[in-house]
Amino acid sequence: MKFRKVLIANRGEIALRIIRACRELGIGTVAVYSDADRAALHVLEADEAYRLGPAPAAESYLRGNLILDIAHKTKADAIHPGYGFLSENANFAEACEKARVKFIGPPSSAMRALGSKTSARQVADSVKMPRTPGSVKGLASLEEAHAVAAEIGYPVMLKAAAGGGGKGMRAVFFANELASAFAAAASEAERAFGSGEVYLEKLVERPRHIEIQVLADEHGNCVSLGERECSVQRRHQKVIEEAPSAIVDEDLRSRMGEAAARFAKSAGYTNAGTVEFLVDEAKNFYFLEMNTRLQVEHPVTELVTGLDLVHLQIHIAQGGKLPFKQEDIRLRGHAIECRIYAEDPENGFFPSPGKITRLLQPGGPGIREDSGIYEGWVVPMEYDPMLSKLVGYAQNRNVAIRRLLRALDEYVIGGIRSNLNLFRTILRDQDFQSARIDTGYLDRLLAAKTITQTSAPEREEIVAIAAALFESMKPVNGDPSNSPVNGRTSNWKQAARREALRA
Amino acid sequence: MMVQLEVNGELRRVELVPDELPGRLRAVLDGEKETEIQAHLLRPGVLSLHIAGKAYRCVLEEGPEGTVIHFAGTRIPYRIDDPRSLKSRRSRAGRHEGPKAVTAPMPGRVIRVLVNKGDEVQAHQGIVVIEAMKMQNELKSPKAGRVIELRVQPGGTVAAGEVLAVVD
Repeated sequence: MKFRKVLIANRGEIALRIIRACRELGIGTVAVYSDADRAALHVLEADEAYRLGPAPAAESYLRGNLILDIAHKTKADAIHPGYGFLSENANFAEACEKARVKFIGPPSSAMRALGSKTSARQVADSVKMPRTPGSVKGLASLEEAHAVAAEIGYPVMLKAAAGGGGKGMRAVFFANELASAFAAAASEAERAFGSGEVYLEKLVERPRHIEIQVLADEHGNCVSLGERECSVQRRHQKVIEEAPSAIVDEDLRSRMGEAAARFAKSAGYTNAGTVEFLVDEAKNFYFLEMNTRLQVEHPVTELVTGLDLVHLQIHIAQGGKLPFKQEDIRLRGHAIECRIYAEDPENGFFPSPGKITRLLQPGGPGIREDSGIYEGWVVPMEYDPMLSKLVGYAQNRNVAIRRLLRALDEYVIGGIRSNLNLFRTILRDQDFQSARIDTGYLDRLLAAKTITQTSAPEREEIVAIAAALFESMKPVNGDPSNSPVNGRTSNWKQAARREALRA
Repeated sequence: MMVQLEVNGELRRVELVPDELPGRLRAVLDGEKETEIQAHLLRPGVLSLHIAGKAYRCVLEEGPEGTVIHFAGTRIPYRIDDPRSLKSRRSRAGRHEGPKAVTAPMPGRVIRVLVNKGDEVQAHQGIVVIEAMKMQNELKSPKAGRVIELRVQPGGTVAAGEVLAVVD
């Protein structure tokens, strides 16, 4: 069945990215928005747009029933959930199934089996996928936690079963720290996810975070599209993602890819998904969790495989077969993505919502920018602070780094603070350039180095002149100034004035 | 024309002398250093400067915190320094005197209050933790002193610019 219309139950850059894919495929689009997003680009670019409610997500983008009503009203054939919000909500996926609106993602049953980290660990065991030693069920008591930790040996990691984004997560190095960490992780998980279930696993020291993109159709075919390395993280949140990983060779790639595909198939998974692993210094890989949706960092995989994952998601959801086999997948070149956020790395990464008063975006060879911002857009405080994804692509990692550094110099975001300088610091760092990274890399770099900008006297002289020129162009008491800079008085206006005075 | 500025905290005097040709001028910096300049405004806020054979891009940002120029990957704040204005005279006379407020840089929810009224605090010591954009952030004391006012409680919401505490 070919979709005529797709509702996009998301906002920001991902909503725009999905709208673009639909338009390329000749499919109509329905946007939904909160009051904070009336002026957002996804609302501007869609064929139809419907208001959901006030800015808080619970009153807008998380209102599954209302979104389904809009899908019915607009006769949308399918809903694309993007990432975040309802994308991993099995109840919503099930409601779509019952309402006969296609959910562009896995079936709710697969989402349930793989969505909870503890049940996903049980699935991993059933297909003999390596995972970190530890519990496969929630811990019933502190005593049980002590027993499991003693069995697998310290250091250990406490994690929320429903977790994500580093919430409800605690590293424990000694037995006497376990009690307080257990209580803290459980209460944090309860607050963040509505479930206090936590489990224990062995802490892998200096791990790399490497994940495998999989695609499965509804006819039993599943392929892996290579890996992404996401080891550059701050507080367990990804900051830079790249493909391929500098340490993954063809052999490791095929073993991880095969394990990920087997795992996805065993749970009846369909559509795009990502299996995340930790890889230790000896290149052993351990299953971490599965993300049952399209991920933020999917563009790096698109660039090195030459595929469009959203096109393929739609193709699969329409009941189409995968148009290629595993052996057809070829990786070419290297792609690196920087997550540009409205936050101030020079001031404790303080969030910086507000109006973008000036915007110069980069371009040129090998640069892809997925964003939903424009000059004049007000970045709302209610949602996550991502402004854009800046991706550099080149024949190898070194050139991709240089491309990104060049693009960062072209990029100007004014009116709010952004973390552009954080990426300058990382991309110029010797350890990053040599790919000596693990999930603790960025925290160590930030502890050793503060993100500040260098200053030079001649630079300040030029800036003083530029500032004086900008000031000279400001009107004085309502009259245009007599600035020596061009452009202030237009030749057209002057000609018009001369014409008017002649009569 | 003469423009007095504070660039990155330093006082600067720039005299702009227009040339016959449009876009050409001389700038005299701090009364001594003279440079030939060619300036072209591409669009509001985006200025192309040619100085001594080199080309520069200067981008103006105007925001609630003041004016900034983006130059070669750095942000350099400046403000116009009119010697007759009260604000300029005040800011030149000691900035660290008197009570200082801890204000919310954005709307959010108060998660924790880290001090009590009357406490002695150090400069940059955490005062209040607020949550915004799914992130928790510690607001720090602008100076060393005593907390003379504390206007928020955990669980409360705050507006941008709202005074949360005063340190003297």
